[in-house]
Amino acid sequence: MRLRPFALAEPESVPEAVELLARLEGDVRIIAGGTALVPTMRLGLVTPDRLVSLHRIVGLSGIRVDQGVLEIGAMTSLAAFARHDALRSGWPLLAQAAGRVATPAIRSTATLGGNLCYAEAASDPAPALLCLDAQVRVAGAVDERVVPIGEFFTGFYETAVAPGEILTSVRVPAVPPGAYSGYLKYCPRSAEDKPLVGVAALLVLDAGRRVGEIRIGLAGAAPTPMRARQAEAVVTGQALTDRAIHGAADAAASEAEPLSDLMGSADYRREMIRVWVRRLLTALRDGRSLTPRSAVDQLMSQSP
Amino acid sequence: MMSIDFTLNGRPCRIDVPAHWTALDLLRDRLALNGTKSGCGEGVCGTCTVLLDGEPVRSCLVLASRLRSRAVLTVEGLDRDGEPDQLQAAFARAGAVQCGFCTPGMLLAARALLASNPSPTAHEVREALAGNLCRCTGYAKIIEAVLAASTGC
Repeated sequence: MRLRPFALAEPESVPEAVELLARLEGDVRIIAGGTALVPTMRLGLVTPDRLVSLHRIVGLSGIRVDQGVLEIGAMTSLAAFARHDALRSGWPLLAQAAGRVATPAIRSTATLGGNLCYAEAASDPAPALLCLDAQVRVAGAVDERVVPIGEFFTGFYETAVAPGEILTSVRVPAVPPGAYSGYLKYCPRSAEDKPLVGVAALLVLDAGRRVGEIRIGLAGAAPTPMRARQAEAVVTGQALTDRAIHGAADAAASEAEPLSDLMGSADYRREMIRVWVRRLLTALRDGRSLTPRSAVDQLMSQSP
Repeated sequence: MMSIDFTLNGRPCRIDVPAHWTALDLLRDRLALNGTKSGCGEGVCGTCTVLLDGEPVRSCLVLASRLRSRAVLTVEGLDRDGEPDQLQAAFARAGAVQCGFCTPGMLLAARALLASNPSPTAHEVREALAGNLCRCTGYAKIIEAVLAASTGC
């Protein structure tokens, strides 16, 4: 089935793209990789008159590390993360979460900027970026601004990117030294699906093996990706005993605001948040390997 | 209508295509390369998989304009002088083809895997083919075929 006809603009610079967005009339959409937008168009959920494709803007693709800060261009494919040694070694949580998105043939095409702007509550990279305190750079007609990732997701499939603006890159500060991190994705239907719930965490233990700092990010737990700040508060300063971990898992389940959909009810999601926060924190405490699939294979064999 | 230049199965190709066509529309309906199948149209089933600069992509999700200046490999470009290549031969020997609808996508996903990882484990083969559905459920023989091709048997 063909897509409904639309006009396509392919600007070669950010200023040109921003100028087009300001000038073009009708329902105008930005297309990045298209792995979310094209199916949405095919289903008739959006019917743009014009698409502005960013794929010819050379400066929007690429991964750089400068003075310890990671900068990822908006049009960088998720597959590129796995090929970038400095990203994998310096920001393993992000590499792991990006590596769990869908399938190789989607990751080759899907972009980080597109993933964030689609604002799927069950995004895999989003909870990792929430834990990593990422910053999102957005260019508009007048100037460029920086949006902390914690303020980026504003509602159900809504972001802080205003009409006429373009997400240009994502900056990720250095991970605290000695941090443990991991991402677990619970897919009850099939491995390539979006998560029913996804849990990312970054943990720094102090000299007494107590939690010096912890950040927990959740996918599929609310209308937007979210930080589980109450769960973080419950274990900060505590030793990671089973009891403390259960307390954090209970707090995450209670602060979540999950939605019901065909994948699962809100109640089921809440229970799965409890289970998977507990499993992730336990695995991090015990130093268990969290390589993408093996961790899931390993943890799926435990009963809730 | 826009004009695009790209490399198709090793040969240069210049063609006019409507802006709203996907790469799959172009391959099947303009270039008559019907080996690339049209399945779900949502990027889920994998049967429309082609390689773009060596990387697997879903041709149903990629706008045709994205092919510009790049190299496209479809199932029609896999053979060696009219003979099945090693991977195709391995599929035939292992009985990895049943109805055949998923086969082009399976072959290309497997080709991309073997190009970057010539000796994958069975687990890595499964991961690489995770997005390619076989509704005949012939996965065991498909995985066997890819492993056989990888070791040059």
